[in-house]
Amino acid sequence: MNLRKIVHGTWMAFCVFLLVSPALFFFIWMLSLSLKYEIDNGAYPPILIPERIAWKNYAGVFESNNFLLYFKNSIIVTGGATLLALMVGVPAGYGIARMRATKSAMVIMIARMTPGLSFLIPLFLLFQWLGLLGTLVPQILIHLVVTVPIVIWIMISYFETTPLELEEAAMIDGATRWQVFRNVALPIAKPGIVVAFILSVIFSWNNFVFGIVLASRETRTLPVAVYNMLSFEQVSWGPLAAAALIVTLPVLILTIVAQRQIIAGLTAGAVKGG
Amino acid sequence: MTAVSTPAVPASEEEARPHKGGHLKPSYWPFVLPALLVVGAVILFPWVFTIWMSLNEWRVGSDTSFVGLANYIRLATDMRFLESLWHTILYTVLSVVAPLILGTAAALAFNTKLPFRGLLRGIFVMPMMATPVAIALVWTMMFHPQLGVLNYLLSLVGIPPQAWVFHPASVIPSLVLVETWQWTPLVMLIVLGGLAAIPQEPYESAQIDGANAWQKFRYITLPMISPFLMVAVIIRTIDALKSFDIIYAITQGGPGTASETINLYLYSVAFAYYDVGYGSAIAVVFFLLIILLSLVLLHLRQRAAWSSGDGK
Amino acid sequence: MASVTIRDVRKSFGAVDIIKGVSIDIQDGEFVILVGPSGCGKSTLLRMIAGLEDISGGEIRIGSRVVNNVPPKDRDIAMVFQNYALYPHMTVAQNMAFSLKLKRSPQGEIDERVARAAEILGLKPLLERFPRQLSGGQRQRVAMGRAIVRDPQVFLFDEPLSNLDAKLRVAMRAEIKALHQRLKTTTIYVTHDQIEAMTMADKIVVMHDGIVEQMGAPLELYDRPANLFVAGFIGSPAMNFIKGNVGSNGFKAESGQTFPLAAAPAASDGRPMVYGIRPEHIRLTDEGVPVEVVVIEPTGSETQIIVRPAGERDKPVADHSSAITCVLKDRIAARPGDVIRIAPDPKSIHLFDESGRRV
Repeated sequence: MNLRKIVHGTWMAFCVFLLVSPALFFFIWMLSLSLKYEIDNGAYPPILIPERIAWKNYAGVFESNNFLLYFKNSIIVTGGATLLALMVGVPAGYGIARMRATKSAMVIMIARMTPGLSFLIPLFLLFQWLGLLGTLVPQILIHLVVTVPIVIWIMISYFETTPLELEEAAMIDGATRWQVFRNVALPIAKPGIVVAFILSVIFSWNNFVFGIVLASRETRTLPVAVYNMLSFEQVSWGPLAAAALIVTLPVLILTIVAQRQIIAGLTAGAVKGG
Repeated sequence: MTAVSTPAVPASEEEARPHKGGHLKPSYWPFVLPALLVVGAVILFPWVFTIWMSLNEWRVGSDTSFVGLANYIRLATDMRFLESLWHTILYTVLSVVAPLILGTAAALAFNTKLPFRGLLRGIFVMPMMATPVAIALVWTMMFHPQLGVLNYLLSLVGIPPQAWVFHPASVIPSLVLVETWQWTPLVMLIVLGGLAAIPQEPYESAQIDGANAWQKFRYITLPMISPFLMVAVIIRTIDALKSFDIIYAITQGGPGTASETINLYLYSVAFAYYDVGYGSAIAVVFFLLIILLSLVLLHLRQRAAWSSGDGK
Repeated sequence: MASVTIRDVRKSFGAVDIIKGVSIDIQDGEFVILVGPSGCGKSTLLRMIAGLEDISGGEIRIGSRVVNNVPPKDRDIAMVFQNYALYPHMTVAQNMAFSLKLKRSPQGEIDERVARAAEILGLKPLLERFPRQLSGGQRQRVAMGRAIVRDPQVFLFDEPLSNLDAKLRVAMRAEIKALHQRLKTTTIYVTHDQIEAMTMADKIVVMHDGIVEQMGAPLELYDRPANLFVAGFIGSPAMNFIKGNVGSNGFKAESGQTFPLAAAPAASDGRPMVYGIRPEHIRLTDEGVPVEVVVIEPTGSETQIIVRPAGERDKPVADHSSAITCVLKDRIAARPGDVIRIAPDPKSIHLFDESGRRV
């Protein structure tokens, strides 16, 4: 009996190790690449932990004068697109849930199915016509294609689960429609808003395809900037891996810190979304 | 309280007439309106405009002319498009099946009592949240035929070095490897949600009936999670069809056009050759393909949900 | 405070009629209970008075004002919900102050009124807590406090006690009644529990299938139920119904036995009728109708026995059609299977005709 438990435990531990190892190995290797000098990165057999740590890879990334600009661009685009999406998406999720118009959310589903590029062609022409290319505005607006559906989708499913009785009580207490939303529905929906915020930030931050078309030299976001390092500079692995890690680090930290919210958001959207 | 004040009653009755019915239910349109404007501008307008462009000869920087279905006819004979269609199908099928199997297995493992379960799940989920371009860069380094760590790992178990993304025959499976690595966690999360919804009693009852572990999986777990598996298949199919970042950042559709999917071809046509009319036609066909597949899968899901609801 | 007048009110959801013409007059300061089985329309009616549901037809007045199209916030009412509907993100004090805040009452007045309501309900020590930190009974009190603070024209209660355990329910029943006697605010209270209705109401309105079956004072309904539905609904254990017809020397049951009648109603000869007798109005006597004991349920203070006409021993257990329940003040020595003789009190007999109306 006891032996069986030990065997079972060992087997489970092995399974989990097997499951987690690709992810774990990848990120450790990414870190290793970013901390090695070129000599060590070019060594065969590969070296995991170098004798000399190349902090200069990171210093180099920050010193390259445009990196901070791209960082700022990313924050403006992600921040702008997320805030705008919350401003229009949270009330919309509320309205759709209360009108029981969930069928209308099909538009959101279809938007999720549509390839990003097919939004890009007409909007690119529109922005060109409006003379907005060269500013961050087109990117903020086109990121709404990603963030607004996320926010609306999550908020619909969240507001559908909040009790209607509370809002009726508020109506009897003398609240107007807006006050019911502002003072009762919104505070209760705070956890849902947090989930929508996190997912919106992550997917906007990670977005690449809109940037490669719409961004000029001055308006690149981080993913585009990192990709351009690969294309135009003499490729050296250490600084490139360091830049890649810096770009994705905020997201990775968020994933670990807000794991519960992320999983709740993704599965709520997914399971209902089918 | 007794005497009826005469002016008040007619006034309120007059008030009663114009909004008969539906008056008390507050209208929620003001809440939806801003989103409607945004959705109209960035989602609905592009859809309509794309269809219009696809009916025109339209290049950036030159005059446009209406050509009807000419772009679509051109598509039907465009070998590069048909080739990209084949790449897309191959890529999608592989990128649905592999994560589905691995994700289900992972969900079964994570559904048990594990030490550090939360932390492990967090690590497991990281690939899907990480910035795709950043990941793609590191994978590119790992795929390197001479210096890459993957060939080194293979050599440890005696497998000869591979060309990975640098050879037409192995490029799509290699990209699928990245896609699988990245998206298996999503399947795992969805199936885990399904597993959490299964009550304990059927297992206990099956145990009393003498079922072994495999039989319990086959006759209880699998039927009960099948609706969730279908959801995973649908989402995975849509995402795999749309996959762009990983392929573009690692191979740009190469070597040659060996890994060019519809999405990459669309990108080239629209933003390398600036032939937006033809690009729009590709976008429309691509969009219809995705919708059609989704509808077929949704239909299958309804049947799956129905039969499992039936207790069969 | 105000009277409430409900005139021929109707409600339909699509083609389904939930309320089919209801008229009720509620006096200023009266405590009225709407009671009925689930689905009878009582909650819908209450929600229409509150303004949470549209009125499909007829009219509702609060005081002299027709409120059909007045939104809830302007009706000057307060409502206590089944699940209390306390705002989870506000403290007890904030919950109670919310309606006054919305009205932009001065802070001094808000504090004073909240303090007074808290005093009345014994909530003083709980004012800074959040709803999740309260017990069921405390939440119930906060919900009432929220209503009191507004000093409304009408209180509405929607099954407020149904989430409490039995003991607490009895206690809260008394509290609500005492509160009403103190504040004398017009109150409309919905419940499915007829004991709640009997113990608390000035006037009971029995509803069934979207219509009012009967309304009146509790004992009036108990003593003179207008029809079979009310007779069966009010009183616990429920009234016994025996099918048969009126004969020359009493009521002839289908089982062949004869039950006593005080006076035969005119023009009833031979028509099928229902004979109703409450369990507590049956005595044991040597001259009574012979019946066989099926079950004896002593509760301590009284004894409940279920009997049926002798000679039906082989009927299925689930067939209650001819069973009669008796509640006796005394303990008895009989055992199941024994034959005893029962005698309904002729003065407490109710007769109903074929259509179920009282004769």
